[in-house]
Amino acid sequence: MTPAHFTFSSAFALGLMGLAFHRTHLLSALLSLEMMLTLFIALSLWTLQLNSTSFSTSPMLLLAFSACEASTGLALLVATARTHGTDRLQSLNLLQC
Amino acid sequence: MSPFILSILLLGLGLGTTITFASSHWLLAWMGLENNTLAIIPLMAQHHHPRAAEATTKYFLTQATAAAMLLFATTSNAWLSGQWHILQMNHPLPTTLITLALALKIGLAPMHAWLPEVLQGLNLTTGLILSTWQKLAPFALLLQVQQTNPALTIMLGITSMLIGGWAGLNQTQLRKILAYSSIAHLGWMLIVIQFSPSLALLTLLLYFIMTSSAFLSFKLNNTTNINSLATSWAKMPTLTSLAPLILLSLAGLPPLTGFMPKWLIIQELTKQGLAPTATLAALSALLSLYFYLRLAYAMTLTISPNNLTGTTPWRLPSNQLTLPLAASVTATNFLLPLSPPILSLLTP
Repeated sequence: MTPAHFTFSSAFALGLMGLAFHRTHLLSALLSLEMMLTLFIALSLWTLQLNSTSFSTSPMLLLAFSACEASTGLALLVATARTHGTDRLQSLNLLQC
Repeated sequence: MSPFILSILLLGLGLGTTITFASSHWLLAWMGLENNTLAIIPLMAQHHHPRAAEATTKYFLTQATAAAMLLFATTSNAWLSGQWHILQMNHPLPTTLITLALALKIGLAPMHAWLPEVLQGLNLTTGLILSTWQKLAPFALLLQVQQTNPALTIMLGITSMLIGGWAGLNQTQLRKILAYSSIAHLGWMLIVIQFSPSLALLTLLLYFIMTSSAFLSFKLNNTTNINSLATSWAKMPTLTSLAPLILLSLAGLPPLTGFMPKWLIIQELTKQGLAPTATLAALSALLSLYFYLRLAYAMTLTISPNNLTGTTPWRLPSNQLTLPLAASVTATNFLLPLSPPILSLLTP
């Protein structure tokens, strides 16, 4: 395991743990979902290390999809704020039983 | 919803699954999965209802987490072994992570808690898409990953079957019952996936047929809980008499189609020397049988109080298309005699 691999693995694990254990606001969950950006760094470093030109678009593709996902998340934040009146995840309890 | 936007979203759903099917590179497979998720979210949130918004949010959070985990596992695999190909996964850590991420995506038992709540917040058409088409792409990836540790899939399968059976017992809402039935059926597929992938695929396809006929018949009756099932005799007498056969086919009783996958899976498990696992699987089907039987009892086996005006609704024509329902109900009930040709079609 190289130092770069360790760094992005631990950053991703921290993001995942933040998503799993810090569950007060929807906005903080969406912020934790930005752990996808560590994967951007990982893909860029992989491309740089291997000097592979054909793979160099993949960080950009990842960034595009990550931006789409972030915007969907913010749209859902607006939708839940309008229907529930708050962005606390505690209030998303209409469907459980 | 405007028909142009609807057609774009449906084409996006088709495109995502097609990209995942056609890819041999993990990044492209991940892009297909993301495409699938992003295309169904407007369909889920199209009714501006609190429950729809909540279900969409929950679905989005779980699917985004699962997709990020999948891409993290594949990137780790590339760093460890230099491979991006789907079929060449050798390292045990990325393989386990990928299996868990895909299990979260399709809602297998330790990661199943989102599925009943999300399905409860949707209408029956979107629920049908969610429980059939959305499962295809992750399942295709799950079939291609070579499992390094056989205990993982067997444990996932057994917990899914048991939890799907136990948790469904307490429900009165049809969509939650169908969600737990989906969890239990996916458990049956996972238990056999490493011994015979083609058998798991056969089980998935037959589950699609059976669950579509259940969803479509509930949609024709406009029912979402057990109580309103009891008045379905007034709307559709023929469908009411066929519905217990659909439910018992989902439960897997012998003369119906649902018996075929369970029979073949138990045979395959016994052939592999896993008799205790096969026994546990067969016994867990009894748990599911209980709630299917309760649905059939509420719908057909009791005679509801009858008055003259109550008998008229079935004479009024319904404007819903009934051809898909007729085809899927026929396939749900009468496919068992065709099991040898179907089996030879799928097994190499």
